[in-house]
Amino acid sequence: MPRHLFRAVGLAVLMVTAQAASAEETLRLRMNGDVNVLDPISTTNFTIRNASYLMFDTLFAMDEDYKVQPQMAEGADVSDDGLVYTITLRDGLKFHDGSPVTAEDAVASIKRWGTVDGLGKILFSKTASLEATDDKTIVLTLNEPWGLVLDALGKISSNVPVIMPAEQAAKPASEAVTEPIGSGPYKLLPDEWVPGSIVVFEKFDDYVPRGEPASLAAGGKVAHFDKVEIQYIPDTATAINALIAGEIDWIEEVPADMLMFFDGVETAKTVAARQSGNSAQLVVNHLNPPFDNPKIRHALQLAVEQTPFLQAAFGDATDSYLECAAVFFCDTPYASDINTDRVLKRDPEAARKLLEEAGYDGTPVLIMHVTDIASQDNFYSVLAPMLKEAGFNVDVQPTDWATVATRRASKEPVENGGWNVFFTGWGFVDQSNPMTNVYVSGDCDNAWFGWACSERLQELRTQFAVATSEEERKKLATEMQEITHDLVSYVPLGQAFPSVGLSTDLKGYIDGPVPFFWNLERTH
Amino acid sequence: MIRYAAARVLAGIPTLLLVSVFIFSLAHITPGDPAILLAGDNATPSQVAEIRSRLHLDLPLVQQFGIWLGNALRFDLGNSIYSGKPVTELIAQRIEPTLVLSFVTLLLTVLVAVPLGAVSAWKANSIIDRISMGIAVAGFSIPVFVIAYLLVYLFAVKLRLFPVQGYKWLADGWIATLNSVTLPAIALAFVFSALIARVTRASVLEALGENYIRTAHAKGLGAPRILFVHALRSVGVPVITVIGIGFATLVGGVVVTESVFNIPGIGRLTVDAVTRRDYPVIQGVILFFSVALIFINLLVDLSYAFIDPRIRG
Repeated sequence: MPRHLFRAVGLAVLMVTAQAASAEETLRLRMNGDVNVLDPISTTNFTIRNASYLMFDTLFAMDEDYKVQPQMAEGADVSDDGLVYTITLRDGLKFHDGSPVTAEDAVASIKRWGTVDGLGKILFSKTASLEATDDKTIVLTLNEPWGLVLDALGKISSNVPVIMPAEQAAKPASEAVTEPIGSGPYKLLPDEWVPGSIVVFEKFDDYVPRGEPASLAAGGKVAHFDKVEIQYIPDTATAINALIAGEIDWIEEVPADMLMFFDGVETAKTVAARQSGNSAQLVVNHLNPPFDNPKIRHALQLAVEQTPFLQAAFGDATDSYLECAAVFFCDTPYASDINTDRVLKRDPEAARKLLEEAGYDGTPVLIMHVTDIASQDNFYSVLAPMLKEAGFNVDVQPTDWATVATRRASKEPVENGGWNVFFTGWGFVDQSNPMTNVYVSGDCDNAWFGWACSERLQELRTQFAVATSEEERKKLATEMQEITHDLVSYVPLGQAFPSVGLSTDLKGYIDGPVPFFWNLERTH
Repeated sequence: MIRYAAARVLAGIPTLLLVSVFIFSLAHITPGDPAILLAGDNATPSQVAEIRSRLHLDLPLVQQFGIWLGNALRFDLGNSIYSGKPVTELIAQRIEPTLVLSFVTLLLTVLVAVPLGAVSAWKANSIIDRISMGIAVAGFSIPVFVIAYLLVYLFAVKLRLFPVQGYKWLADGWIATLNSVTLPAIALAFVFSALIARVTRASVLEALGENYIRTAHAKGLGAPRILFVHALRSVGVPVITVIGIGFATLVGGVVVTESVFNIPGIGRLTVDAVTRRDYPVIQGVILFFSVALIFINLLVDLSYAFIDPRIRG
């Protein structure tokens, strides 16, 4: 085809798209995953959580100082004995189908959330009743005082207690709502939703934002765009090229080895998100040999250290990571150095000695090497040689994430489809809170994968839930960390600060542990 | 002719059944549990168990297959485990981009490859032949994603003539659609042109040695007429066979191109379904491919009869 014909077609299309752009402002986003459902109660998936914040609203929300503020609620009155919470809805709340948001909808939504969420379950174990006394008033009555009621209702990460119509909230939490209706600043356009490709929202004109300025999830959620599209672009290089070419406005995560794509580029930039850090862990199965032996778990701790893993993941991008062995993240209220020496320092000789003392019989450690996720692939490549050097026998089996995600739920011996170790990651919000950090539950058979068991940890957690002063909580959290590292629930591999890719013509971006898109606007 | 076509269609039924059994078994034998992927990375085992029983993934395999087959016969391919949407709807949403991309690719391929192959044969072993066949070898040796990234870098990022990614629907105007599939179609056409050019060259070369070509020369006909009317027409059968196979491969196998250019076609639906262990979608899509393949083969067979009067008889 002659070159001028190419150009003609290209120009014609430029004209068409330019016309469309002047008609309405669209914000185009690329998240890490695809939006298959819009029901953040049915899944803990972060992409679904992020997308849900566009269309759903919450009773309470966390501000940038990590304090809970009223959002849909006007406020909450707490009785003197701390047992009765009276929550009033603010005026003008409407669902996207036009019906008003009532206290009954809120009660049904909170109850559904309480059947799956970790904090929600604790809340309901302490709840005598939760009911709507009129259209705007919710009354929550506890059996015993609990200091974290509003923290639970204002939870910022999965599962977020979003409010949906009562009839939708009547579905079991394991079943996703297929035609979701929210009351947030943007409204879903169901006809334009193609799972695996795109989901489109439009500004909800009847949304009444709060008067306060936006502050993380709290404050006024002002929608400045007519439409918001979340495009599922599987290939990261393509997404970055599209951002640079102005076809999309935001990328949730730019891998460290692609940061250089932005050198000398004027249309887009990257921002290392200090607040939205996440962490990587090597999870240890306490049920299967050799790691059913505490001494051998200690040897595992001594066999590995964080730096090589972080370098494998981030290369030269030293701004993107932090060595950290604090169970509740570094630079947080419950951060502590206690018992971190045994984690941070690698000592293969000491590990060998421990293995000898423990009578290690050479049982191979199964390494399920995930090859379809680049970061995991790198981690597993680093792990095997470290373990070998410390005297472990290893059995490396290449596989994919879907297989590992299935296999990790098995409590069977390795030869019957069980496992020894796997890598995973958790976000800042969940890890920094002792009530939601899965590695400090000590809950044996009912714990998260790995099934670490400690009665003392269970006691500490119970005490934490009813502790009334911050000092007391801090003390309990510190002891939790000490025990967790002794127990080796997991080996922490450090903290990461992924970079967000952002179009340079946007302002008002909220840097936080969850991405929010209200308040954001185009500068021209 | 009609009997011939009907027989071909009927012969496809056992193929479809076999393919269904095979795919069903393969999908379920593969380790990995959709319920776990659905529940989210940080879900608890009890959340997972609840989802598994809701999806009937705890039933015996034979029973699960029976349910699926019964529904498939009523054109109900079930709902996606992943999105909850009907599989038929998901496939319908994805057909347009794949078909458009395949047609444009095919058009480019035929326009470039057939004349290229014919001329190479005519000027066999000349410098023109060497250069064209060199390009052809390069075409199917360079991985399609390398060509794709080079095209994006040059024509989208640097020259800004085409979009980097995405698909514009025909409903929004065909010019935009054409523009959005141009780069992916060129990337794919590279690979297929190479194949078809070589087949055309070989077939034409053989035909040029035949007596009727010598007769045409003797009649004093010009070179273009001999090449494009006499020789090329007689090699229609092998060339169309390769084009047919190529088209079938395009419809099913453009996964890499669809990923690099972010085109929401059937290929990506398939790969996404496999990585998510979305059994109903995997089964539905493979069934769809099988039907499409049988249909394309039928068209190819019927076109033989059209091109070659000996087959018509």
